[in-house]
Amino acid sequence: MQNNDKETLLQNLIKSTAKWTNGQGPLSDVVVSSRIRLARNIENIPFPARACQAELKNVFELIQKVIAKNPIFNDTNLILLNNLSPLENQFLVEKNLISSYFAREKYPYRAFIYNKEETLSIMVNEEDHIRIQSLNSGLQLNKIWKFINKIDDEIEKKVTYAFNEKEGYLTSCPTNVGTGMRASVMLHLPALVIVNRVKELLKAISKIGYVVRGFYGEGSEAMGDLFQISNQVTLGISEEETIDNLEKVSRNIIDQEQKARKKLALGTKSELEDRIWRAYGLLSSARIISSMEAMELLSKLRFGVELEIISNFNLSKLNKLILLIQPAYLRMLYGEELDAFKRDLQRATLIRNEVSR
Amino acid sequence: MLCQICKKNEATIILTRIVNGEKREIHICENCAKLFFSNELTVLSLPQFNLNNLLIGLLNAIDLYGQEEEAIAVKELKCQNCKLTYDEFRKSGKLGCSECYQYFREKLIPLFKKLHGNTQHRGKVPHQAEGKLNKIKKVEYLKKELQDAVSKEKYEKAAQIRDRILKIKGDPRQEDAK
Repeated sequence: MQNNDKETLLQNLIKSTAKWTNGQGPLSDVVVSSRIRLARNIENIPFPARACQAELKNVFELIQKVIAKNPIFNDTNLILLNNLSPLENQFLVEKNLISSYFAREKYPYRAFIYNKEETLSIMVNEEDHIRIQSLNSGLQLNKIWKFINKIDDEIEKKVTYAFNEKEGYLTSCPTNVGTGMRASVMLHLPALVIVNRVKELLKAISKIGYVVRGFYGEGSEAMGDLFQISNQVTLGISEEETIDNLEKVSRNIIDQEQKARKKLALGTKSELEDRIWRAYGLLSSARIISSMEAMELLSKLRFGVELEIISNFNLSKLNKLILLIQPAYLRMLYGEELDAFKRDLQRATLIRNEVSR
Repeated sequence: MLCQICKKNEATIILTRIVNGEKREIHICENCAKLFFSNELTVLSLPQFNLNNLLIGLLNAIDLYGQEEEAIAVKELKCQNCKLTYDEFRKSGKLGCSECYQYFREKLIPLFKKLHGNTQHRGKVPHQAEGKLNKIKKVEYLKKELQDAVSKEKYEKAAQIRDRILKIKGDPRQEDAK
């Protein structure tokens, strides 16, 4: 573990780009990212919401020790959340390093550990004592599982997890008990949205044990044609099966999206190109833009890149841009005092510079 | 000013929302306002962590079917370790400690069936627990062998099996015997 003060770490995080944004992973033309998280608790300590200050401190110190001595965590940093402002907390949520639940909670000794590539984030004293999360580009759940499984093994060498033979890993919420694993994929489905197939498809998926959410979590379907799909069941199914099933479901949706794209490209090519280039035009000349409008237009631009209609832009730039234009990120970049209107101005400038470059 | 949503009609309504403790204004037309509010309502009814809400819904549904006497028993149900009552759990959907799984087991089993369609963990076992689990299984197996030997009056074999059990359990007497 490296030692740096909070200011330096945050400054570095503003400048850094996470590996998952590189747009190089398998099937990146539809799958933005894959993610797995494991929920773990330490034996004989109440879950964070019912733990006293000394117990939370105990959890924090145990993890700190694990991280400090193991070479696998050499390139990681630790930040204590209690020292951060609400804005800084929100920024970390937008960077996908912590959960919004974690940012909102108030109890002491909440911390998170992340690696240089930002593919790993370990939250300490979240809803559970330990939440290990890994995020990467495209559809690669198996690779992420191998990585996160190893991290889990390393932590387990030093702490005894709350576990029993019947219910598996014991978690604060019974929706996580068993494997404690939530695997998810973020899909970009513009063609299925255009042909009006996305609603019924996602409804069908939610009936077979998957949770569908928008980019921001709250059923925000319209946001940039981005949909997150994750497993609901964690008890009675192994980690490998969970991943395997999610991958199959994802491949099915990807297949349908690709068919819809082909159909659109054949039947209405000019309209499709017009739609994409209009979005490009707006993005490269708008002076005021809300995050909602920007997300919509950037989705069209992404669609153009995915269909190879637009060649002077790439997925990596798009992924970075989507993060930069979020409200807290903008305020971290251009000053905390930036109000909503000034942000819309600044957002438009930022996008214009990137798109017309 | 044109409506910020449809960008077609004149904006006649200023909508102020508090998002993450921050005031935000958008200018919209009447048509979009209607749409916006109907959407807003669906957003509200689809809260952020729908799994937890699903869970709370299930918890209440399960208890509705219970008998009256049972309802009283449920009120007194409490985890003796962290002191969380079942009632508190039903409201928050969050358990307090790993012992809650023992104290509320009877109530949790139907919930697991509804949530996961299953009550038995399959999948990863922590390496530390692996040793412990194997021990328990081995001891159970040997105990059966022991009973078998005793019933067949093979006392010498029974003594050997007993020693093996003690050894696995890490009994100090076994250490002395060495």
